Amino acid sequence: MPKELTYNKAFTELEKLVEQIEDDTIQLDTLAAKVKEANELIAYCEEKLQGIEKEVKKAKEKKK
Amino acid sequence: MPQAIKLSELAYEIQETMEARFEGETFWVTAEISDVKKYTSTRRCYLKLVEREGNNTNTELRAVFWANYYTEIEQFERKTKQVFADGIEITCEVKVRFHPKYGLNLDVVKIDVAYTLGTIELERQKTLEKLVAENPKHIKLVEGNYITYNNKLPLPIVIQRIALITAPNSDGQRDFKQELEKNKHGYAFSVTEFLTQIQGDTAHQLIGEQLQLIYNSKENFDMVAIVRGGGSQTDFKPFEDYILAKTVATFPIPIYTGIGHDRNTSIVDMMAREHKTPTKVASKIIEHNFEFENSIIELKERLSQQVDLLIDNAKENIQSMKRLVKLASPANMMKKGFAIITQNNQIIIDPKNIQPNTEIDILLQDEIIYTNVTKKEKNAQGTNL
Repeated sequence: MPKELTYNKAFTELEKLVEQIEDDTIQLDTLAAKVKEANELIAYCEEKLQGIEKEVKKAKEKKK
Repeated sequence: MPQAIKLSELAYEIQETMEARFEGETFWVTAEISDVKKYTSTRRCYLKLVEREGNNTNTELRAVFWANYYTEIEQFERKTKQVFADGIEITCEVKVRFHPKYGLNLDVVKIDVAYTLGTIELERQKTLEKLVAENPKHIKLVEGNYITYNNKLPLPIVIQRIALITAPNSDGQRDFKQELEKNKHGYAFSVTEFLTQIQGDTAHQLIGEQLQLIYNSKENFDMVAIVRGGGSQTDFKPFEDYILAKTVATFPIPIYTGIGHDRNTSIVDMMAREHKTPTKVASKIIEHNFEFENSIIELKERLSQQVDLLIDNAKENIQSMKRLVKLASPANMMKKGFAIITQNNQIIIDPKNIQPNTEIDILLQDEIIYTNVTKKEKNAQGTNL
């Protein structure tokens, strides 16, 4: 995954992966890697929404 | 020595003259109000009615609302969304009264609210026209709606870092934060408060100053919320200010307003994204993030469905291969009654190599028949057994 991930990047990347996986020509041996990457992106978005991600905490600290 | 009379006698004389002229009569006057002193407990209001010519005051008369007429002020504030305060112009019905001790006073018995509403509307139209005329790049009037740089800014895909402009310890502040905190999806928010007075004469400047502070660290915020609720809802004026409206219209971070007017929309509301109340602003933000989460969930479902499908397909392919291989296997063929013919341990595929009076072996599923070829001819029946 890219280091500086944002919601936008994660979302676009995820959409791209799902489309690739939905493409009939996908090779089974690359499927596992793509699914793993997609799941990581989903986890990133969900965790960040719930505030587990560091960035939100960082913003909170700045305020103090 | 001049003949002097008592002061009270003179006063009585004046009073009589005044009564003779003004008793029972009322007058409608238009004037600016100043030195307004409201006593809510006794329900009285003392003020001055003033008329100016340029910078000079040419007329100034004391006036009073007695308790019976105090509702006029309350009604005025409710209907005009303006505080009855110094500097505004009103049209009111007055009685002229002279009292030996308190002098000349106008008793106000009615306020013409429509007049003030009219002047407010006129003022408002002027401000709106000026906003469009002087900021053509940032503010446009399209089919009755004000399209501004700010209210057309795309919203970030998720809103989490919020700059909140509100009054300290206000209902608005509390409602907004409560709504965010209790959101059932468990979303995290970082709310930075920019507290200021949000009503009164200088409120528009103070709000503008807070916006400037936010601007200085604009990369830290996804959006700005300006909220107000509870307390006196009458003061609409700060949100009708030209400079504040312009600041909002040209502000580089999306602004949501919830300044608590259900029926009226202020100019600042029109320049931003209006959501009426602090609670509604907060729930809009939650809704916005929920939309994002939904699209993630949708992708997640598509992903897992597709993965299941791909794996099922692969499994099925393997199964049918297996079946095919099994069906075609010699053992399986022999089970069905087919035989293999060998000669000298070689499987015979082409019968032309077999000569009569030679030995061949017929391999069946359970037994081998050793036999001698007695005769050979073309198969005329084909495979049509």
